[in-house]
Amino acid sequence: MAFMLTLVSQERELISEEVDFVKAKGVDGEFGVLTGHSPFISLLDPGELVVRKGAALYSYYVSGGVAEVLPKSVIILANTVERADEIDEQLARRARENAEEALKRPISEIERRTYLLELKRESVRLSIVARRRSSRHPGQVTEE
Amino acid sequence: MPSLRSIRGRIKSVKNTRQITKAMEMVASAKMRKAQMRVRDTRPYAEKILELMGRLSAIESHRPNIFFKVKPVTTIGIILVSTDRGLCGPINANLFRQVNRFMADRPGVRFEFVIIGKKGQDFVRRSGLKGVGFISGVKDRGQIEEILPATQVAIEEFQEGRWDEVWVFYTEFVSTLSQKPKNEKLLPIGPEVVEGRARGASPFLGEYLYEPDTTEILDVLIPRYFESVVFQRVMENFASEYSARMMAMRNATSNAKEVIYQMTLIYNKLRQAGITREISEIASGADAVS
Repeated sequence: MAFMLTLVSQERELISEEVDFVKAKGVDGEFGVLTGHSPFISLLDPGELVVRKGAALYSYYVSGGVAEVLPKSVIILANTVERADEIDEQLARRARENAEEALKRPISEIERRTYLLELKRESVRLSIVARRRSSRHPGQVTEE
Repeated sequence: MPSLRSIRGRIKSVKNTRQITKAMEMVASAKMRKAQMRVRDTRPYAEKILELMGRLSAIESHRPNIFFKVKPVTTIGIILVSTDRGLCGPINANLFRQVNRFMADRPGVRFEFVIIGKKGQDFVRRSGLKGVGFISGVKDRGQIEEILPATQVAIEEFQEGRWDEVWVFYTEFVSTLSQKPKNEKLLPIGPEVVEGRARGASPFLGEYLYEPDTTEILDVLIPRYFESVVFQRVMENFASEYSARMMAMRNATSNAKEVIYQMTLIYNKLRQAGITREISEIASGADAVS
């Protein structure tokens, strides 16, 4: 049984179609949604969004936002979204190193928090890339 | 009777003008295409968040959240989205006329403005209205961050109770040929805020589970709703601006063409008259001699 998934960011609409399963990273932990889920609203942490449609799995990086789950539809209002194959690995790696370096220096509390968040974001990006590579089919991700 | 020389000068100057308007038309039409795409891309988010706020307002209206509470209105805050530059047809004038009508319909209410765009600033100053914030130079491919100074001022005014309602005025992009001045109430979030604006919104009147909790979600969601809707309206205004400018410049170009045609006609007639006169003078001179 499928339900309607809408994935939008400020910049564009990425998905607006029937899917079978969605997994996202809420602030209180990961959650998976199948059709007929009881309604809830959750804030999202930076993390991976996995969508299953038939046999195909799709992976996205979501930087945060809000998910609204209704029995027959899910709406994800993301701050920014990248498709797994859009992630620039080099850029992410450099940004992560940069953040790690910065955290070693004596910096203000606000800066420290910014860099910690940055570190988290880039780590999530890189782990999505890594998982994509380990799976046999590009565009598909393996479930843990 | 104008001299040949002065007409030639005027034809030249109109030709220059035509070249400029032609160039502006082409620049505007290129920008318009991009801006139209951006409008199309940014609409879904604004629509979806409006739908969500609509569903939430139905549930939340009884809770003591200031953003859902409808109050008696003494002061209205208006976010006025205008253009930075002129030469874009009547869109700013139409919008300002709508603002005036809006104010005239609500006697006894005070109005304060947060302005985006230089033309709006001029209007507010000229009309002796009160502006509390002003930003300009927002880019047509800009990020949402650029408008945050404006939206933050507005949210603050509302939150601290100085404004009882917040409206946004902008020019909606309907098509290349048609742009409509529009106003929308953004705060407080009541059913009428969403009505007719979120297409195909499914009503949901049950209860949600909230993660982490209602307050925290609303604290994040409400500013985002406000910012993203205003941002989308700014993008919409860009598409309208470029379309209107393109049409205005196209008209100017064809007017210039018409003027050049008419003046060339006069010029040729004058030239011919001059030649005819000279010939007849020579002929009569020759007659006198023989």
